[in-house]
Amino acid sequence: MTADLPARSRGVIGLLEENCTVCMLCARECPDWCIYIDSHKEPVPSAEEASAPEGSVHGASVQGAGIQGAGVQGAGVQGAGVQGAGVQGAGAPAGRGRQRVRNVLDRFAIDFSLCMYCGICIEVCPYDALFWSPEFSYAEPDLRDLTHERGRLRDWMQTVPPPPAHDPGAPAPKERLAAQPADGAPGPGAGRGTLA
Amino acid sequence: MERMAQRQAEAVTSSWAAGPGASDSAGGDLLINLGAGHPSGHGMLRLRLTLEGDRIVTADPVIGYVHRGAEKLFEARDYRQIIVLANRHDWLGAFASELGVVLAAERLAGIEVPPRGVWARTLLAELNRVLSHLAFLGSYPPEVAAGAESDEVGAAAGAGGTAAGPDEAVRSAEAEAEAAAAGAAAARARELLQSIMEEVSGGRMHYMFNRVGGLKEELPAGWLGRVGAAAAEVRADLPRIGAIVRGSERFRGRTRGVGVLTSEQVGQYGVSGPAARASGVDFDLRRDEPYLAYGELAGPLRVVTRSEGDCLARFECLLDQVAVSLDLADACASRLASLPPGPLSARIPKVLKIPEGHTYAWTEGPLGLSGYYLVSRGGKTPWRLKVRSASFSNVQVLGELLPGHRVADLSPVLGSMFFVVGDMDR
Repeated sequence: MTADLPARSRGVIGLLEENCTVCMLCARECPDWCIYIDSHKEPVPSAEEASAPEGSVHGASVQGAGIQGAGVQGAGVQGAGVQGAGVQGAGAPAGRGRQRVRNVLDRFAIDFSLCMYCGICIEVCPYDALFWSPEFSYAEPDLRDLTHERGRLRDWMQTVPPPPAHDPGAPAPKERLAAQPADGAPGPGAGRGTLA
Repeated sequence: MERMAQRQAEAVTSSWAAGPGASDSAGGDLLINLGAGHPSGHGMLRLRLTLEGDRIVTADPVIGYVHRGAEKLFEARDYRQIIVLANRHDWLGAFASELGVVLAAERLAGIEVPPRGVWARTLLAELNRVLSHLAFLGSYPPEVAAGAESDEVGAAAGAGGTAAGPDEAVRSAEAEAEAAAAGAAAARARELLQSIMEEVSGGRMHYMFNRVGGLKEELPAGWLGRVGAAAAEVRADLPRIGAIVRGSERFRGRTRGVGVLTSEQVGQYGVSGPAARASGVDFDLRRDEPYLAYGELAGPLRVVTRSEGDCLARFECLLDQVAVSLDLADACASRLASLPPGPLSARIPKVLKIPEGHTYAWTEGPLGLSGYYLVSRGGKTPWRLKVRSASFSNVQVLGELLPGHRVADLSPVLGSMFFVVGDMDR
């Protein structure tokens, strides 16, 4: 149905939720605030926890794991890290540094009855989690059904076409410039330092 | 909308004229409201007309039905979000409206757009101009030509009742077929150019392609070639699109000498664009205060003027301007292909703050002068962004133009003043 539409055609927005870090930039920059995001924070499992059979994420068991880690100090390759943690948390009985947390997405929805199809959310996303799809036929008899929840937004990802090649007058994309050695510098890894 | 409203007005006046008369209108004048139309129509213009028979005595445009408070909304939007709103008030000239906003911001911030960006903007602005002109050429002339003599036919049949009826009907059918062909040709040309715009920007009407500092994205490979092909195709189709304006005696008869706008009135009311140039006002910002790359386009840039100031002259101006804009688009495309590689946009900070100050950026939009007065207090949002839109001024002069005309003249006059209701109300 959309085969003859150009790749940039702004039909519907797809969500690649693995890339979303719940930074909320899209929701904040949206000119009509039609993106709804809910999330909660969860502790990041530490390396030894990840290898433990019961990879629980609750605060209490993380503490327990920390004690456990102290007990197996110097065991295997993680020894250095665990030792370091022990030094840092010398005064703390848990024997660990600050607990790291990550955001977990609970809800991501776009209300297409409000959306003005400007694409600012896609433009500002620093993690490439949002994409345009040319798919346009999703009219609904009920206005409320135009709010697409994360499942539906993910399904639209199947319809996202690859972006078009650029005009020959365009400068090389910055990803390629960064991956290529700077001219004059022969080392294969010379350009990598420029990756920002 | 105008067509529907005109029918409504004609229905009202004919029933009044055929009725007992004195009982309906004690004073001889009848006040009817034309419009404001149905919400599903594209914009609403209401005209308060005082009629004497079907002769218009006074006409009073009542505007504001699509007022969305855009200028106030601008004050709570950053410069990227403003573009979303700014390209919507004139829905036929979105690129031109975007352009005024970013030019004002760039001037205050001292941002220089790289050459490829400037030429690409010029190209897109001209393609958008063609699209806007074609929308007017494709809708009003065919309508005027097809419906032209229907009322006169009716009057003749009513008065004489001779055998001229069937002959008239055949001619009328031919005229309608001719008008439909011209309208279809314009629609096809618009479709072609819209797909060009969609390929580069992703939008068919609301392009959202300008950014402060340049353009949103790089041009797709091969796009410039497709621009050239589309421009050639539209140019080849121009005789068919302009068949009514150039050749239809019905259309020319109904628009010649109708709705004459004098150059004094142009000055008094601030009428601009093709409507002003048809009255002999030789003013075009692209030539007289060049912005973008127009300074280097003196060759293909011909300013089209007429001196008659009537509806016919306005449509002829519009038609000639399409040809000029296609030439400009070709010139831009070939220049873009020969420019050295480089970016389309200047590098600007992620959080863009415009330094304190004020500036007025005006451009020659498809409908006329499109101006943005930007006052910044150094923030991410403007302190004030005032829009001067061509449609607003072009509509105001209707109060001078319409009196003395018949209700049947409304359609050519309204259609040739080149306004978009959203641009008028904002």
